[in-house]
Amino acid sequence: MPAQDYIPIDQNWLGNAGKLWTTPWVDKPSDRVIVDPIILSHAATLFRKNAGYFYSNPDEAVRMVCAACELYDVTPVGHYLYADYWGADYGAEIKIQTNAPPGITNRPIKTAEDVDKFEVLSTEELVKGPTLATHYKALDTVKNEYPQMFAPITQLGGTMEVATNWASIEDVFMWMITEPELVDKLCIKAGDHMVNACRATAERYGANVMITGSVIASGDLMDREQIKRFSYQPVSRAVRKVLSAGAGPGVYYHLCGNHTDDFDLWKDAPMSPFTIVQIGYDGQKIFPTSKLVENFGDRCTCFGTVDTKLVDRGTPAQVYAQAKEQVLAGKDSPRGFILGTACECPTNAPPVNVHALVRAAKDFGKYEKF
Amino acid sequence: MDIKITEQVDNLLKDNGVRKEEILDIIKKAESSGQKLKSKDGNTCIAKGASENLTIYAVYSATELLDVYAHKMNILGITGGEIKPVEYDDASDWICAKCGEVALERNVDMSYLGVTRPGPGLVCAKCGEMYVSAGMAKSTLKTAEAILEEKRA
Ligand SMILES: [Zn+2]
Repeated sequence: MPAQDYIPIDQNWLGNAGKLWTTPWVDKPSDRVIVDPIILSHAATLFRKNAGYFYSNPDEAVRMVCAACELYDVTPVGHYLYADYWGADYGAEIKIQTNAPPGITNRPIKTAEDVDKFEVLSTEELVKGPTLATHYKALDTVKNEYPQMFAPITQLGGTMEVATNWASIEDVFMWMITEPELVDKLCIKAGDHMVNACRATAERYGANVMITGSVIASGDLMDREQIKRFSYQPVSRAVRKVLSAGAGPGVYYHLCGNHTDDFDLWKDAPMSPFTIVQIGYDGQKIFPTSKLVENFGDRCTCFGTVDTKLVDRGTPAQVYAQAKEQVLAGKDSPRGFILGTACECPTNAPPVNVHALVRAAKDFGKYEKF
Repeated sequence: MDIKITEQVDNLLKDNGVRKEEILDIIKKAESSGQKLKSKDGNTCIAKGASENLTIYAVYSATELLDVYAHKMNILGITGGEIKPVEYDDASDWICAKCGEVALERNVDMSYLGVTRPGPGLVCAKCGEMYVSAGMAKSTLKTAEAILEEKRA
């Protein structure tokens, strides 16, 4: 649908949502906690489109996301991203899928020798590449059509996520055991790539938020020492370099999956004045917001989560109950709090479940600290 | 110590609202107290001083003022309250001249317009002195200050 087929965003809603969204970053009082269910291809389902359509049409994708933000009354920001960024720039094939975000095949690094030969693209080369061309098409649309909902991000993942978009996850995990130094090399290159990619977004749009963290590198697949060596340490190094290079100042640590054994490491990860930490799971259970706030509340903004499996397949009552518990534990966190989902809102999640999440923030997320 | 100030650096002083006497005074104090950072090769130093609501830094060699930068965010202390060992290589390229210890790259709490948040700092674990590098002050903190000024208004 072209721009004229959408109704303009309700300015009253936008003004209020903007206030709610400002609070967690700069402590400016507002009524209640804002919700960010990380809406991406889920927005397409509200328009009877699928994930494939969403990711084939980045300009329409962000229009759908912005409309969904108003519909659900959530964070007023037009996002566009998917997990498997950057593979295509280095020669992998990107596969658009009907009911899931894009995946990549035919990754460029196939052997140990390939790791040594692999060269990280410069900022200028990345700008001309397929990932940023698509990313910028989406962001430019938000900037032009929804300027008040424009908050540019750079989707990086952490070093292990970038590395496994270059080499197959099976190979990387095998090398972790047989040739760990090779994975060190790969992670250093991934870190250098992160700096160049962030610089590109900063040069085009100015202030922006880098999304990093540890997704593949979670307790489900790696132990603490491996996460420390291949994720926490190289990611920390890269974030410092990114900040020094003038990108940022937003830093979003997205710790997806189970982080029981390594979450405490991230307490000392490099932080800017606009840093947010989100942790998915504590073992099999959702990461308790009480534990998140206890460990990170005196450091940065906290992003409390509701289980995406529950949002996808649970009942509204289940979502509401978990959201209530999380928001009550987090709402007055000293350096700000946002309620959301453990990872992106599942494409086909029932809209009533997203609504239940937002209702919980309205019913139980009123600030007492101001 | 006779410090030369080039026209380029003089413009930086003006951009940061810092007087020449002020910056020379900061350098003089750092030299007499030893409270400064020095590069590993010993050729470059960073001195820190305060002026009203500004933290000012002079980067200088034995003969020349090389760079000047400042931030409005006020450093309060170590984020999390104390310096504990971290599990990554946090050694910076700078040494605390007074203690001879390598300055560590650590988060420090900073406050501006009533908002306290972390920021990337350089910290001496021995004497506790805290600094911000030129790169961080000129990019991250400058942008952060502008956002806070806009959003806290
Ligand atoms: Zn010292």
